[in-house]
Amino acid sequence: MIRRYVALIRNAWLVDLQYRASIVLWLLWGVTEPAVALGIWWGIAGDGQVAGYARADFARYFFALMLVNQLTIAWDSWYLDGWIREGELNFRLARPLHPAHEAVAENIAYKARTAGMILVVWLVVSLVWPAVRLPVAPGRWALTAAAVLLAAAMRFFISFTTGLLAFWTTRATAIMELHAGVSLFLSGRLAPLALLPPAVAGVAALSWFPYMLAFPVELLTGAAQGPAVVQGFAGQLVWLGVWIAAYHVTWTRGLRRYGAVGG
Amino acid sequence: MAPAITADGLSKTFKVKVRDPGLKGALQALLKPRYRDVHAVRDVTFAIEPGEIVGFLGPNGAGKTTTLKMLAGLLYPTSGRVAVAGFAPWGGGPAFKRRIALVLGNRQQLVWDLPPEETFQLNRAIYDIAEPDYRERLAELVALLELGDLLDKPVRQLSLGERMKCELAAALLHRPPILFLDEPTLGLDVTAQEAIRRFLTQYRDRHGATVLLTSHYMQDVTALASRVLIINRGRLLYDGALAALVARIARTKRIELVLADGVTAEALAAFGAVKEFRFPNAVLEVPREDAAATSARLLAALPVADLSIEDPPIEDVIRVAFARGVEENE
Repeated sequence: MIRRYVALIRNAWLVDLQYRASIVLWLLWGVTEPAVALGIWWGIAGDGQVAGYARADFARYFFALMLVNQLTIAWDSWYLDGWIREGELNFRLARPLHPAHEAVAENIAYKARTAGMILVVWLVVSLVWPAVRLPVAPGRWALTAAAVLLAAAMRFFISFTTGLLAFWTTRATAIMELHAGVSLFLSGRLAPLALLPPAVAGVAALSWFPYMLAFPVELLTGAAQGPAVVQGFAGQLVWLGVWIAAYHVTWTRGLRRYGAVGG
Repeated sequence: MAPAITADGLSKTFKVKVRDPGLKGALQALLKPRYRDVHAVRDVTFAIEPGEIVGFLGPNGAGKTTTLKMLAGLLYPTSGRVAVAGFAPWGGGPAFKRRIALVLGNRQQLVWDLPPEETFQLNRAIYDIAEPDYRERLAELVALLELGDLLDKPVRQLSLGERMKCELAAALLHRPPILFLDEPTLGLDVTAQEAIRRFLTQYRDRHGATVLLTSHYMQDVTALASRVLIINRGRLLYDGALAALVARIARTKRIELVLADGVTAEALAAFGAVKEFRFPNAVLEVPREDAAATSARLLAALPVADLSIEDPPIEDVIRVAFARGVEENE
């Protein structure tokens, strides 16, 4: 299996090299949204604090968010939607390799590429801007790595499962867009969750959204401590289990339904 | 030896949403969807022996591709039994998938932006092909398909024919004993079509592979297949040798003549229906059973330089088979 992953990742990178300009654009996209959010909160915070966040805290939060988002983001619903609607799933189903492995390999390929570049950007910026420096704390980094891995797995299963809805509807990517829209508020992309109105924060706490991004980000910045860490990992494991189950049901039923459109 | 492929009472019914035109129809479909059954394949039974090349013929929407997909394990049959290489394709798992190749003419597995060899390398990993085997098989495929200078060109720069050749190579690197080919020559020029046909015969002869192919080009079928399956509206109309089909369907024979001086179309009309007349060439159509006797009379009565008796063009025979079925012409 390792040899297959190496071959799949290698091909994904070779394709990337054909589209060097688009890599830069994706990188800019990954940087712009948190940079804009940081700019807004920077202005609002002024010399004081918002819900315990001073300017330097916002800076650390959004730099951590930039990195964690790139390490956990999943585009699989868009790929799958195309594979299913245009009949490109056919040859993938005829191969002795579950199509999900190709998707996972793609994930690893682009995450390694983009997150690597963001890490370099962060390191360079932190040389001149002490606010975004993180304390040297190997234990916390190890916990963050575990949380990022779980978040990446969860976001993969969410995206893959939503993409599988293309077996039933032509609007699978619209559902994913809706999910992305909601996640903008509930996962901590626009603001740390501590800043949400209590009612919205209550809704977020019952959903999987905080575990996709906010929890690993707060683990990295040090905002999550003690019981919040245990609760965060428990939440991640539960929601990952739920989404894996949803994936299994959707995949099995979807394949049965597959009309093999086109081809 | 057990057959390589068997289908026994194979059927596939799709449920298709019925939608009336206009906004009202769209709303109705959303609130109260109606479905109708489309019987894509109905009660199809056949067996294909190892090493056979069988042509699968039928008009668009006849059920060819649906059958092929059920045999390859992509579609779950509504009823009936299938065995391919000893496996039930649906749920046959990796062991089954290593024994088949599925090539769909209009859906390609080659990575568009990379040279074909990168897809070959990927398949080497996916199918767990040992390096020496890979080198040997690639060399064979490169020689048979004449891929030499294509391997390092990005796929997007290849012609349609070149892409199909590389597609076949990618699909055959794991050397499957059973090939399902859907329209492998679709859209190719005559030279490329011939190259693909030549390759398929050579591949079968070398490796004893069983091939089931669909095609709209009769030359594919006449050149490759000793046997044809004809399907229309989901039903199998004919299973047997192409020559036997012609004998069964064609009620007439063509007598092709090269005439000497002084023969008119009117004079020929006394012997049969004149299909073509461009002096000195002429084509007569006569009842099948009268062909020999009519030829003898023609030779005796007219100055004939050359004469041959032919079956009607295979395209015409197949068209009749599609339109009227096979049995009623017996």
